[in-house]
Amino acid sequence: MKYPKIAYRNGKRYFYRFSLVQRVQHVILFTTVITLSLTGFPLRYYDQPWAEPLYNFMGGIEVAPWIHRIAGLILLALFVFHTGYWIYLFFKNRIGRLRRENQLTMRNAIREFFSQEMIPNAKDGRDLVDMFKYLLYFTNRPPRYDRISWKEKFDYFAPYWGIPILGPAGAALWFRDEITHYVPGIVLNAFYIMHTDEALLAALFLFFVHWYNVHYSPEKFPLGTVFLTGYLSESDMIHEHYAEYVRTMKEQGLEHEIKPQGHH
Amino acid sequence: MKNIILILGFALLSNLGVSGEKVFASDELNCVLCHKHRGLSRVDENGEFRLFFINEKMVKKGPHSKVKCIDCHRDIDEIPHKPAEKVDCTVECHLEEPSSKQKFTHKPVSEVLSKSVHSKYDAEGNLKELAVKYPDDYPDCKDCHEQPLYRPLSFFKGHAAGISERGLSRCKSCHTKGDFAESFYAHVTSRLQKMRSPKEIVGICARCHGDPQFQKRHELDAVVTSYMETFHGKAVHFGSEAAPDCVDCHVVSGESVHFIEGQDSPTSSVAKGNVATTCRTSECHADAGENIAGYQVHVTYDKDKYPLQHYMLKFFTALMAAVLYFFVIIIFLELLRRLFPNFSFTKSSGADEQGH
Repeated sequence: MKYPKIAYRNGKRYFYRFSLVQRVQHVILFTTVITLSLTGFPLRYYDQPWAEPLYNFMGGIEVAPWIHRIAGLILLALFVFHTGYWIYLFFKNRIGRLRRENQLTMRNAIREFFSQEMIPNAKDGRDLVDMFKYLLYFTNRPPRYDRISWKEKFDYFAPYWGIPILGPAGAALWFRDEITHYVPGIVLNAFYIMHTDEALLAALFLFFVHWYNVHYSPEKFPLGTVFLTGYLSESDMIHEHYAEYVRTMKEQGLEHEIKPQGHH
Repeated sequence: MKNIILILGFALLSNLGVSGEKVFASDELNCVLCHKHRGLSRVDENGEFRLFFINEKMVKKGPHSKVKCIDCHRDIDEIPHKPAEKVDCTVECHLEEPSSKQKFTHKPVSEVLSKSVHSKYDAEGNLKELAVKYPDDYPDCKDCHEQPLYRPLSFFKGHAAGISERGLSRCKSCHTKGDFAESFYAHVTSRLQKMRSPKEIVGICARCHGDPQFQKRHELDAVVTSYMETFHGKAVHFGSEAAPDCVDCHVVSGESVHFIEGQDSPTSSVAKGNVATTCRTSECHADAGENIAGYQVHVTYDKDKYPLQHYMLKFFTALMAAVLYFFVIIIFLELLRRLFPNFSFTKSSGADEQGH
């Protein structure tokens, strides 16, 4: 399916951000993570008054562990799919172009790798400094984020750090009998701490930080719709991705209609 | 009309307990005549409130329903009686074990207990040093056991617990007289499973082992807390009957549950060399490797005893604090920034300038 870079609905401009495949991946990601949290945290906080009703609602001790394991498997599968997905896109779009242009050298391939949109770069460092300057009132010019801001890159890499810790640890605790043929028993203790503490970090981060960005913040409340539609409104683009906004407007021949970045 | 009055009269009588349930068979001295009253109580010499109410229905559901009150409360020889002494479970009662024709007693259990870690005496028969100081810390029968209740198994549909009528019907086709079927069915089936739920067992051990003062006196770790942190503990908390409680690991498979030994005893189920065998019983981690013994169950996060867990916990706590404080501070500053969107200490760069 071909998505226009700028779409118009009811006379308003919307900017393309996420393809259908990406949005579906996100739905699977949050569905499994929420399911895992609901079937996991009642165990961690078993002595809290909400734990038992919630755990029984999720199937109780006979069923909930299986829901947890199946959701974990789906999340692991998604992780593997997603990694394959960006490697596929990387070869198709970037290596393919280099090959067509006869520019395929190791050096160019590495440069292409690091210029992918989710990879942190020097501009993210500058943006971070700009953001603190702005937040601490040293300037009234907000940071001008490009297509993916450093915050979104952090969001993106959080599962990339979390899933490799949580997933194998969870799998090891699931197959505890089998792995004790190969690793010392204390590894299970380590996995147990990794699994439950990393899960808490992930859940707290998602609940306070990610949900602030997409649910609680005054512009978004009750929810930003980009994860459903794939398109971001013009005011949100100006607010969150000004550099990309300006570039896209110029690309589309709309230089004269670029709006200033002032606070909304 | 006459009938209605009659029915009302019966209902009233049965409510008052006059025509009520018959006294249970073993109570030939009719002790419940007084002890059935819920408020029967007094404050004893030590100032403790004592309740003497006996719930007849409950007693009838337990293995002691055939034992006469006087069999255990032997010092009572007149009614009304003087304050009774504590019951000694090791005396012989009037029940006969049908196959050996011997009088029944709990003495063998108490002998097993006296060899366990819970005994006041050490292997040489000398009173333990701590038992001299804190004799009350060492349990006897009634510290763990209350008047027990049958908890019969039922494999028949629709019966999670209690006597299955359909199961009983098979016994009753021959055992038509008396309550032989009911009583033996309950007697046998209740012993085909654990007498108490795992959660109950943990609660019993926690009466002493969960008390911080007790732990201090005997230099023991907070084993109940650490057990509850394991998946075993959590599963038991949420009602699993399959997850292990204290006695599942601390009693050698096949031994009497009263024979719990300390870690130092070479025959203990939790002695260094025996842990793997204990974990790998057929009901639990049967296929596990020898290394399962290395899994530490009672982790306290103490720096010297459990350094790995201690430092991992520190690492994750620090990571969590760093990540969350960083972002929460940013969110806080962002919200503050909204109060004065156009204010700035420096006026050089305007918010209105465009693009690059």
